[in-house]
Amino acid sequence: MKRFEYKVPGGKLLRAKVEVEDGKIKFLQLTGDFFMQPETDLEELEARLIGCPADPAAVEKAITGFFSAKRTVMAGACPADFAHVVNQAIRA
Amino acid sequence: MPNRFRFLDLKVNDAYTNMAVEEAITKARGEGRSPDTLRFYMWKPSAVTLGYFQSVEDEVNLEALNHFGFYLNRRISGGGAVLNSEKGEITYSVVLKEDDPRVSADPVESYHYLCQGIVEALAVLGIKADFKPINDIVVAGKKISGNAQIRRYGAVLHHGTLLVDFDAREMFGVLKISKEKLSDKMIQQAEDRVTTIRRLLGRQIGFPEVRDALEEGYRRALDADLQKGRLTPYEEELVNQFKARYASREWIHRR
Repeated sequence: MKRFEYKVPGGKLLRAKVEVEDGKIKFLQLTGDFFMQPETDLEELEARLIGCPADPAAVEKAITGFFSAKRTVMAGACPADFAHVVNQAIRA
Repeated sequence: MPNRFRFLDLKVNDAYTNMAVEEAITKARGEGRSPDTLRFYMWKPSAVTLGYFQSVEDEVNLEALNHFGFYLNRRISGGGAVLNSEKGEITYSVVLKEDDPRVSADPVESYHYLCQGIVEALAVLGIKADFKPINDIVVAGKKISGNAQIRRYGAVLHHGTLLVDFDAREMFGVLKISKEKLSDKMIQQAEDRVTTIRRLLGRQIGFPEVRDALEEGYRRALDADLQKGRLTPYEEELVNQFKARYASREWIHRR
């Protein structure tokens, strides 16, 4: 399991725990002290990323694509921050 | 015209009951079965309360928690872990309808509005405090109150903790403080980030006096007509229903 933590400047702390197998995300957990509503969107995002190629462009596309189809309200973090922490965890 | 609120005065309960009461009021308010509500409460035994999205292993030193005999508990709202100490803080909540014109859809604006009760309460005590986005209240840069909100059931629940005193050995024994977070604020010692009412006043102010200041602070900030009340039978029923979930391992250890 690889992990990374990232404090968003002026925002909140994000943590990613990730397992990669055969170049794809096999497990992902995102945690932290950010705010997100509806809160079920986070679990949906984690599930959506399973099987996603473990490379920065694919991860970023998957995450921004996920949120652009949603009406998630966030404080202390934005979609790019989630992409950053996941990509850094993959590289860790 | 002042705004009418039901006021649930300071009461001490265990963590699971406290969280179940928050959700019960929120649900009943959203359904139009309860009025706008202001609630003050405390915790016994002390408890570490995690934000909804936090993981137990990253935030809590379970060995220390067991050593002190504290409970572990998770909110429905996001935000950070706090130690709800039975001897060091007062917790408060405000519950309004989600479409209440006083509450902005913008999270930071709605925090700002609902945190003013604490800023005013501290002013009553002679302490100059400021709202610090996103969800903190600080005195000279040091945190004295942390807040969280959730919108659910058609209502908004705003809750937070106000530090009266703290025992660094307890707080930093049970809470793991992230190095990333500290380095961002360029502060070496976690203890330097927080302050308390007793420290600022330089005296052992009692909880009744803090409670009175809180009541006056909210009265001013929300232009509130506070009517002392109690939970309705419907809310009591919900509390009994929700309590087991808050006490369950599945809920507490979900992340």
